[in-house]
Amino acid sequence: MKKNSDLLSKLLQKFSSMLPWSVALICMPLIQTSYASEPQPWQWNFQPPATPVMEQIIDFHNLMFFVEVGIVLLVLGLMVYIVVKFNSKANPKPTKTTHNTTLEVLWTVIPIVILIIFAVPSMKLLFFMEKAQNPEMTLKVTGNQWYWSYQYPDNGNFEFDSNIIPDEDIKPGQRRLLEVDNQVVLPVNTEIKVLLTARDVMHNWAVPAFGIKIDTIPGRINETWMKVTKIGTYYGQCSELCGVAHSRMPISVKVVSKEDFKKWLKKAKSEFASSDNNKMLKLAQLKK
Amino acid sequence: MSNITHDHHDHRPSGWKRWAYSTNHKDIGTMYLVLSMFAAIIGGAASMLMRAELHEPGIQFITDPQFYNVLVTAHGFIMVFFVVMPALIGGFGNWFIPLMIGTPDMAFPRMNNVSFWLVAAALILLVIAGFIDGGAGTGWTVYPPLSSADYHPGMAVDFGILALHLAGASSILGAINFITTIINMRAPGMTFHRMPLFIWAMLLTAFLLLLAIPVLAGALTMLLTDRNFGTAFFAPDGGGDPVLWQHLFWFFGHPEVYIMILPAFGIISEIVSTFSKKPIFGYLGMAYAMTSIGVVGFVVWAHHMYTMGFNVETRAYFTLATMVIAVPTGIKIFSWLATMWGGSIKFDTPMLYSMGFIFLFVVGGVTGVTLANAGVDMAFHDTYFVVAHFHYVLSISALFSMYAGFYYWFGKMSGKRYPEWLGRLQFWVTFVGVNLLFFPQHFAGMAGMPRRIIDYPDAYAGWNMISSWGAYISAVGGILFFVVLYKTLTSNVKAEANEWGVGATTLEWTVDSPAPFHTHEVTPNIIPEPAE
Amino acid sequence: MELKKQKSTTRVGDGVVNMRKKSSRNGLTAVVLGFLVFSMIGLAYASEPLYRIFCQVTGYGGTTRIAVFDNKGLVAKNSITVRFDANVNKLLPWRFKPMQNKITLRPGEQAIAFYEATNVSDKPIVGTAVFNVAPFKVGEYFNKIECFCFTEQILLPGQTVQMPVTFFVDSSIAEDRNTKEVSTITLSYTFYASDDQSEVENLSRTSLEIKKSVDNLRRTQIIQPG
Repeated sequence: MKKNSDLLSKLLQKFSSMLPWSVALICMPLIQTSYASEPQPWQWNFQPPATPVMEQIIDFHNLMFFVEVGIVLLVLGLMVYIVVKFNSKANPKPTKTTHNTTLEVLWTVIPIVILIIFAVPSMKLLFFMEKAQNPEMTLKVTGNQWYWSYQYPDNGNFEFDSNIIPDEDIKPGQRRLLEVDNQVVLPVNTEIKVLLTARDVMHNWAVPAFGIKIDTIPGRINETWMKVTKIGTYYGQCSELCGVAHSRMPISVKVVSKEDFKKWLKKAKSEFASSDNNKMLKLAQLKK
Repeated sequence: MSNITHDHHDHRPSGWKRWAYSTNHKDIGTMYLVLSMFAAIIGGAASMLMRAELHEPGIQFITDPQFYNVLVTAHGFIMVFFVVMPALIGGFGNWFIPLMIGTPDMAFPRMNNVSFWLVAAALILLVIAGFIDGGAGTGWTVYPPLSSADYHPGMAVDFGILALHLAGASSILGAINFITTIINMRAPGMTFHRMPLFIWAMLLTAFLLLLAIPVLAGALTMLLTDRNFGTAFFAPDGGGDPVLWQHLFWFFGHPEVYIMILPAFGIISEIVSTFSKKPIFGYLGMAYAMTSIGVVGFVVWAHHMYTMGFNVETRAYFTLATMVIAVPTGIKIFSWLATMWGGSIKFDTPMLYSMGFIFLFVVGGVTGVTLANAGVDMAFHDTYFVVAHFHYVLSISALFSMYAGFYYWFGKMSGKRYPEWLGRLQFWVTFVGVNLLFFPQHFAGMAGMPRRIIDYPDAYAGWNMISSWGAYISAVGGILFFVVLYKTLTSNVKAEANEWGVGATTLEWTVDSPAPFHTHEVTPNIIPEPAE
Repeated sequence: MELKKQKSTTRVGDGVVNMRKKSSRNGLTAVVLGFLVFSMIGLAYASEPLYRIFCQVTGYGGTTRIAVFDNKGLVAKNSITVRFDANVNKLLPWRFKPMQNKITLRPGEQAIAFYEATNVSDKPIVGTAVFNVAPFKVGEYFNKIECFCFTEQILLPGQTVQMPVTFFVDSSIAEDRNTKEVSTITLSYTFYASDDQSEVENLSRTSLEIKKSVDNLRRTQIIQPG
């Protein structure tokens, strides 16, 4: 992929990275200083990538984007030419051409060649996304109507719920419809296996900056992996229609250094272990 | 619609019986078109409500999010099953298949009548489904378990299923009628390779309907019994699998998008050829490009399900198979351009809409190539990018072909000529409107905005505002269309039998305008093409 | 294409014959097409068992296998980790968890793992477990010999049971190009309330009888000393 599209993708990266950043610069005073991946006003491109997978998605997309814009411009150009040259005033006598074998072969073969050029990096990307090398820890994600539950099976197996902060409780500087009460905390530069399922209907756990979007299906466990390379806070939203509050089950991931993650684990274990018991108590009371 | 009396020798029934019991392909076609316009008002109103709600971040006036989901669902179903299909297939198909192949009527005129009234009943059931028991807020994909009795109790989903059953039965009957008519009743001399491309398109569409709709019917019945009679086709607790529904739905759903767009291809081909005053370029290539699109359309369904967690080999296969469709589509686009090339084109409204169609279809087509790739789809699945893609490639493309077909054939149907300047104005308003409506959705989707949400993070406000303004402008275009309709029906400008001149070579231009109640009672003979 | 309407030169009588021929041909076409429609409906229904068989044969979607023969003698060198995962559907008031987080074993070795389920409601409930493994591609190598998921489970109010699953991972997993890099397999169960709760009625009848006899016993006990 790199070979045949090096120049293209470099050019394009320059071109495509300029605008979001200039927008970001203008909006800088509005954004908090820490690295956060979230949609920006008037953003017209991807959110900045935070995993190798998303970086590759963007590279491959840019290659296709360039060619596709070319195709649209070609067709548009031809149409403009036709309007100018072949309107009834400019060309009162139509030709009788209905066949041109060379042309027909060309516009069959050239698209095939373009598709093959696309297919090679596409397959590389697909198989790269598929295989985790050596996952160091596991995160389990469970979709519920309408919140997410997270579980750390390798780190004490504690579990907690992550609910949206409702509009009326949003403080200035917080992002409406994206902030949650309990963020998922994950270590940076660590290969993480993600297991996903749901307890009621289908949901979809999606974080744009990670290039992750996996359906959580009740009665079935799904698996993927990620390796976040930048410390920061990342936002996503449920991406499968799941009922009334589908728009109100955000995902917020806080990626911290490995040391900070250990500290957080200690605190979280005691905090959420107890809350888990409380929940069972509540459930028991409810049943009575 | 065309209640103008004519002094023909034909014995047409009068009053309501003429319509209710009609077995006349033209009257049935007209009823389909009227139904489609009526449904478009409902479906369009749903779109306007949604876009008005999304105009600004926050909840504006739809206080019940379930109602928003119901709107999403109703909009999808109505536009697909009750606007695009009745207009392109039931309307133009019924009107012009017999006229273009030179036969007096369809093969089974009574069945044709049943087809229409089934759709009409289905529309009523579907509208009911939107209002009882909280409505069906499942999306047009009706994925279980959300659509199961546990999460959608009440009758709404059941009514929706019955509505689709009736619409499906109607489509199957219609398809049998179309295929039989086209295969057996062509005028002598009209071989398959000499049929107009519109007839090719309708034949292929009918075959797609015949093969795809029964699968939907089967799946819907399973869902219905799952909901009401304790079967467990899609319920995990009984040994079923909700993923099976998705396979069945998309096995129908992907051909369905070609069911909507193949007739459009046919109409555009006729118009481009007529207005360029040239025969279509690469006729055989065009016909077989459509055929291969139809065939390949049956083996790519799982590209709607990339985020399900398939084996990587499965996703690789569906990626490659889907990309193949770009080749025949490219052939069509370039053949249309080549048909115009060297032509002597008059840019009347039908031609403007055809040019608009080609542009929109190319824009939607290239984003389709992007989305075909399972890897990149991880970033796009279920975002507004997908919404923009499929509205470009089939919704507004289909709309443009409907408008194009209307302006092209309305003279033949009503005997009146539409006011040209008003038609052109309507085109430009609509063209600006739909692009303003859907183009910014690419950006919102790339930035990460999910589909089917009533409220969005504030950062997406900009693109959504533009999109909503685009929707209002498109609505003005829609209202202008009804103005054109009114002006045409009340005008005194007669349409000639062949109002488009030497370019219009198909058989419908050999009969009077408006087309008499009975046509081609004497079978036209087609002079064999001189050997080249 | 040059199209021209011409007056038909055929005689009226011929036309009638043609019409009759035509309509019988139309009928035949319609019958053939109708057959096509019904076969497609049949196909849709056939897809349900076909899909299940397909999943079982290929391990598609992480469907595991039920072992008929065990994997005697063949044991791979590299060990593999099996992680145990448990879920409960929202409509079932049970607690359900694996009693061990994971087991490391070598493909070909047989292992036993336990899950624990508790009914936290005040009613007896029949539950049924659905399951799959992740990544999906190892499904065809994951063999269960004995599993609580093969049958329905009934739990009394407050009752806790421990349930075993006996399994092995096929040693040929290490030879498959696609699966040899897999180091961890997740075995996941989700408990649902069973659609068929008739066992509960039987059970509550018997438990009612037990209760009655216990009451009788008590009564007799009270009476006797007096």
